Amino acid sequence: MSQETVTADATDGESSTSDLRDAIGGKRILLYAVLALIAVYFLIPLEAGLVTSFKTNEAVINTAPYLPPGPDGFTLQNWAEALDTLSSGLVNSLVMTIPATVLGALFGSLAAYGLTQISWKGQIPIFALFVAGVFIPYQAVLVPLSQFWSMIPLETALSPLWALPLLEPYHADLIELIVTHTAYGIPISTVLFRGYYMGLSDEMVEAARLDGAGVFEIYRRIVLPLSGPMFAVVLIYQFTQIWNELLFALILVGGTGPSAPVTLSLVGLGTSLEGVDFGLRMAGAFLTALPTLLVFIIFGDQFAQGVAGRT
Amino acid sequence: MAELSLDGVTKRFDDGGNDIIAVDEASLEIDDGEFLVLVGPSGCGKSTTLRMIAGLESVSSGTISLDGTVIDDRQPADRDIAMVFQSYALYPHMTVRENMSFGLEESTEMSDDEIRDQVESAAEMMGIEQLLDRTPSELSGGQQQRVALGRAIVRSPAVFLMDEPLSNLDAKLRSQMRTELQRMQEDLGVTTVYVTHDQTEAMTMGDRIAILDDGRLQQVATPLEAYHEPANRFVAGFIGEPSMNFFETTVEDERLVGENFDYPLSEETRADLGDATDVTLGVRPEDIELVDTNEGDGEHDFRTVVDVVEPVGSGNNVYLAFEGDESASELDMDESRTFVATIGGLRRIEAGQPAIARLPEDAIHLFDGETGEALHNRNLDDTETIEPQL
Repeated sequence: MSQETVTADATDGESSTSDLRDAIGGKRILLYAVLALIAVYFLIPLEAGLVTSFKTNEAVINTAPYLPPGPDGFTLQNWAEALDTLSSGLVNSLVMTIPATVLGALFGSLAAYGLTQISWKGQIPIFALFVAGVFIPYQAVLVPLSQFWSMIPLETALSPLWALPLLEPYHADLIELIVTHTAYGIPISTVLFRGYYMGLSDEMVEAARLDGAGVFEIYRRIVLPLSGPMFAVVLIYQFTQIWNELLFALILVGGTGPSAPVTLSLVGLGTSLEGVDFGLRMAGAFLTALPTLLVFIIFGDQFAQGVAGRT
Repeated sequence: MAELSLDGVTKRFDDGGNDIIAVDEASLEIDDGEFLVLVGPSGCGKSTTLRMIAGLESVSSGTISLDGTVIDDRQPADRDIAMVFQSYALYPHMTVRENMSFGLEESTEMSDDEIRDQVESAAEMMGIEQLLDRTPSELSGGQQQRVALGRAIVRSPAVFLMDEPLSNLDAKLRSQMRTELQRMQEDLGVTTVYVTHDQTEAMTMGDRIAILDDGRLQQVATPLEAYHEPANRFVAGFIGEPSMNFFETTVEDERLVGENFDYPLSEETRADLGDATDVTLGVRPEDIELVDTNEGDGEHDFRTVVDVVEPVGSGNNVYLAFEGDESASELDMDESRTFVATIGGLRRIEAGQPAIARLPEDAIHLFDGETGEALHNRNLDDTETIEPQL
């Protein structure tokens, strides 16, 4: 008798837990459905672009944008052509973006160090200027910027350099872009690094001072080595910004000269009087986006740490 | 080896036009090789004092000198001082070896070999030689503490400054490190200033202790002097666990009249009071005797009721309330009206039980009711001494 009661109780217990599991399961399924829907919504344009880049012109016209091409509509021609047309732009973009990103981050980090770990009067107004710098729109500086660079004859001033191997006079345009992007990137990197450095232990920096390290030694040996995660954040952010930037390049380089970065070359890719070559344009767009994607993959872990504010 | 002296050292912080005085005219002489503990409640200015000695805070007025040379305007690095921080402040990206070498690399011209030798001998002394290639995150709290100490001793400074170095350790490790630190300081013979809020640490470690409250030095004395001859009511209450009991009284002829009792004074004690009228009577818990109800009828015996008993093993803390007035008989007493006595751990006593508390006259302290200054401290008989003896 007592045995039976126990069994009955046990089954009761079991059924109630499975009910509970069902209830959770129902909610979970709903949640996943919604998430999947949102994911599809975001991914459809990318998917459509990617399949289009492998389609011949006929296939583009005859198949729905998001459907893969048939065996006879498949081609790698678009990618080959895009690579061919954009390769010099890609090289220019790399030559411009990497120094501008690194310099901007480094100067931002130095400025932030000076604004947090060193005490001097008048820090707040100076920091306010950096914050203001973050909010200056690109459009507002275009005219002063082009006037500024037209006053500085960089190409003639640096003429001895062009004799060196691998350097060409048109690289002066890229130097202009590097300086401009570095300057434009310093405020945001400073603000980001400042937040990070505020979290560094004051006692640790004081310990280094007592150990006899000077201001610059403390930066080089203590602060800089501990800035890794924030550098990842700033480098990824700045790389993406500068790589994708079109307006400064348009104003300072203009047209599609030998110094045009890839964003400028992409503008004209696949457009002609006969119409738009969608396959070619999509291949070009993916090719252009590839480096930023790679940067994310390489620095992703550090990026997450930096965003989470881990010191 | 060094003699550190502070002369009228004051620190003012500017807080939106209002000056906040963190340290007020602190003057101290710390002898060569002495272990001085700065102790006080949080916010009393003890850490600020230490940071001024280190050079991490500027001195608003007064001077700090080391062996007769004023060091106020020297950079922290040029003061020949090493400091151990509460958080240890180890460099997280460096190994223990790099942490310990850093100061030597930055402040001396030593060759790599010399640095290596010095780091290794300091590590050996701290018993951390097997940890040299680990990073701080791979160490336990106690090991980090040792590394922080090792980093300080490797530079063989003239003065050690320690800012609550043991407060992040668990209780057992803390008492172990306390002994170890004392032994180390004795071996090295380096002048040490140690900041803590823990009066037990102050009592057990210091050659002398300096008690600070509200930015002012209250007393600088050996631990036993501070305990038995406190300069004022604050020191009396701060040093000792459980704290000294205080009763507010007024002087009437040869007696102290409190809310619940009359305490007759001998002529000598009365003479110490001068013309003070409001007097605080202080008596340490261990000086209160609990006597049998049938024999306690002396003039310093008072009828009480046991309120709470806290056994601590070696003794019992017994909280007592005066019996006699109506509120006491109803056992309706607010906390401020109980006082504490410590008795032997094996003596059995229970809450609610009546007891006679004897407050012997030779154990009482009397403080001025207004200024808190000590007017009379306990008598010590011939066999008792608070002087250091060999």
